[in-house]
Amino acid sequence: MKRSKRFETLAERPVNKDGFIEEWPERGFVAMHSPYDPKPSIKIQNGKVMELDGVPREKFDFIDQFIADYVIRPDRAEKSMAMDSLEIARKIVDINVPRKEILKICSGITPAKLAEIICHMNVVELMMAMQKMRARKMPGNQAHVTNLKDDPVQLAADAAECALRGFSEEETTMGVARYAPFSAMALLIGSQVGRRGVLTQCSAEEATELELGIRGLTTYAETLSVYGTEQVFVDGDDTPYSKSFLNAAYASRGLKVRFTSGAGSEVLMGQAEKKSMLYLECRCLFVTKGAGAQGTQNGSVSCIGIAASVPAGLREVLGENVAATLLGLECCSSNDQSFSHSPMRRTARTMLQFFPGTDYIFSGYAGEDNYDNLFAGSNFDANDFDDYNIMQRDMQVDGGLRPVREEEVIEVRRKAAKAVQVVFKRLGLSEVTDEQVEAVVYAHGSKDTLNRDVAGDLVAAEDMMKRGITGIDVVRALAEGGFEDVADSVLNMLKQRVVGDYLQTSAILDENFNVLSGVNTPNDYMGPGTGYRVEGKRWDEIKAVDNLIRPEDF
Amino acid sequence: MAGEKAVKYNEQVIEEVVAQVIKEVMKQRGVEQTTQGKKEDYSDAKVATKGTDPKEVVIGVGPAFQTQIHRTINGLDLGQVLDEVKAGIEEEGMHPRVVKILKTSDVCFMGLEAAKLSGSGIGIGIQSKGTTVIHQKDLYPLSNLELFPQAPLMSLETYRKVGKNSAKYVKGERVTPITVENDPMTRPKYQVKAALMHIKETECLDEKIPYIEWNA
Repeated sequence: MKRSKRFETLAERPVNKDGFIEEWPERGFVAMHSPYDPKPSIKIQNGKVMELDGVPREKFDFIDQFIADYVIRPDRAEKSMAMDSLEIARKIVDINVPRKEILKICSGITPAKLAEIICHMNVVELMMAMQKMRARKMPGNQAHVTNLKDDPVQLAADAAECALRGFSEEETTMGVARYAPFSAMALLIGSQVGRRGVLTQCSAEEATELELGIRGLTTYAETLSVYGTEQVFVDGDDTPYSKSFLNAAYASRGLKVRFTSGAGSEVLMGQAEKKSMLYLECRCLFVTKGAGAQGTQNGSVSCIGIAASVPAGLREVLGENVAATLLGLECCSSNDQSFSHSPMRRTARTMLQFFPGTDYIFSGYAGEDNYDNLFAGSNFDANDFDDYNIMQRDMQVDGGLRPVREEEVIEVRRKAAKAVQVVFKRLGLSEVTDEQVEAVVYAHGSKDTLNRDVAGDLVAAEDMMKRGITGIDVVRALAEGGFEDVADSVLNMLKQRVVGDYLQTSAILDENFNVLSGVNTPNDYMGPGTGYRVEGKRWDEIKAVDNLIRPEDF
Repeated sequence: MAGEKAVKYNEQVIEEVVAQVIKEVMKQRGVEQTTQGKKEDYSDAKVATKGTDPKEVVIGVGPAFQTQIHRTINGLDLGQVLDEVKAGIEEEGMHPRVVKILKTSDVCFMGLEAAKLSGSGIGIGIQSKGTTVIHQKDLYPLSNLELFPQAPLMSLETYRKVGKNSAKYVKGERVTPITVENDPMTRPKYQVKAALMHIKETECLDEKIPYIEWNA
């Protein structure tokens, strides 16, 4: 066939480098509804759930049993389940029905019912639902802070810059897992230099992550993964019960926790049991709630390549974010993984969470160039900072970030790098040279920094764990090294662990360490003139971009 | 760093492999228990045992390795992959042994099984799509010494280095981990293909035999 030049041109477009697959329910490649999904049902006897979504109690798998015993309110189930799913969906988008009433209804429904309700809504209705059902009144944002070299000095500088740019939470991970103690510590220090009260976490193997948290080197945890089929749990040597114990371990030490799940993970593991991604995710969210976690990071997350490959995949992603909020969970709404070559497509995907606002629009936004992003690339990265700020300004939307000046960024980067240098020295860890600090201050990414002695760092990191170094040692090193203000901030972050208020749903901290959560600042949206509005000081901040044309110059 | 070292894979080979995988998996669509009857029969195979040689590194390969899947996600021949890893181990004076893991297709658990079977306690897990881990018997399953999560970035040179580094861990040297590579576009390019290959691998699991000696 002679090729059409139009089609040849279109074939070269970025979107045509993406992978798409037709619906294939037998292997779980289906977004919203599989013909094998169960019909919603419930039977209650003597206050006990005896049948759940068509399965009698004696045939429950451990997920069914966990949900039946710990999540669904037996006193509300019959009434909620008797309501038509379409009627519930309409109440959700009805501005006259308050959020609380929706939460009450949804405390008595089953996973299949939740999926059915979501299926009744198109993307605009799902955005309306998110605007009303998000737990915290004001939206927020989270950053990824990582680099290819696992360089703790660069981590601290990038953490400081991201905190200054407005992120409420920062997450790191490692290329070489054994760097974890350094990464957690660098992030803790750097974040507080940029903006006091920023929460930090280090995504690592679960026992390591817990250990870092107990020692006060992180202030929250996010990577407690749950799955929608029993077999995936089993393959990971896990159950909903073991996840509950882990959650309780964090809570006992006053650490904020959210779970993680999302569309496509069961497909990727080859264990989707013919069910739709949405239905399986609804099961995950029920497990999350039953385990006592205050929130979830969901929205397909790292399996977005699977969700985005099927029809209505991105509608499903927003749908599962909304499903989380309907159960009263904090929703940290993904947007954190590259999934498309097309800038149009990746922007469109993020607008679904950006416009209504979620507790954290990204989980997280790459605070570095994507080549340094060790979560294999985020949907937006440091190169998109200005675009993002302009979009906030264009739409008068609060995306959680703010424009910053170059000189203030350089200042906080230097301070964070030097603080880490001092702490490393006082704790007897590996050396951080002045040259390394200087390179990091002005760097865009790890291509601009000096190499570290990796083998030496790993020995020192292991030694740091063996010696039992904790957050208090970091506070002392900072204070004695001349960084009293940073020491004070890190100490305040440790105090949160004793106070425990930030364990409430959707909690973040402001620069004075005040908790802003779904409990003390709940979302009260009920249509125009209510809820969170971008105005006053915050609007001035968003408006103040750097590259304005000045009439007086002409 | 990812851009610096061009991974030499042939685009055509990849497409061929993927087309083959898709064709085969698609053929089985709609049929219950798709690979029943197609699955290899390992009932006569030698069940792998724990080694006693303190210089041993056990390489644990995936259930579909060299039987249902012959090339990694970026088209590397699995025989060559294995040769490079073994050569790397031998270069450092240590002894490679290959087993096929049949009880799990999760790379970390595969690597840990290999490490537990290894006389030295150091093992390597390699999925048929190429994802690789260096593991040690006393670590948590999802922890590792070195992990190579982005299979499309793996080259034969990297596999040789994996062999060398694993041997260095056996010798108790101060090991510098292999430089981490990252391509933010790996997911959009490969995640669907990765899912299809992993589904195939998972279908080859054997409930009865946990692991066998593998000398293909």
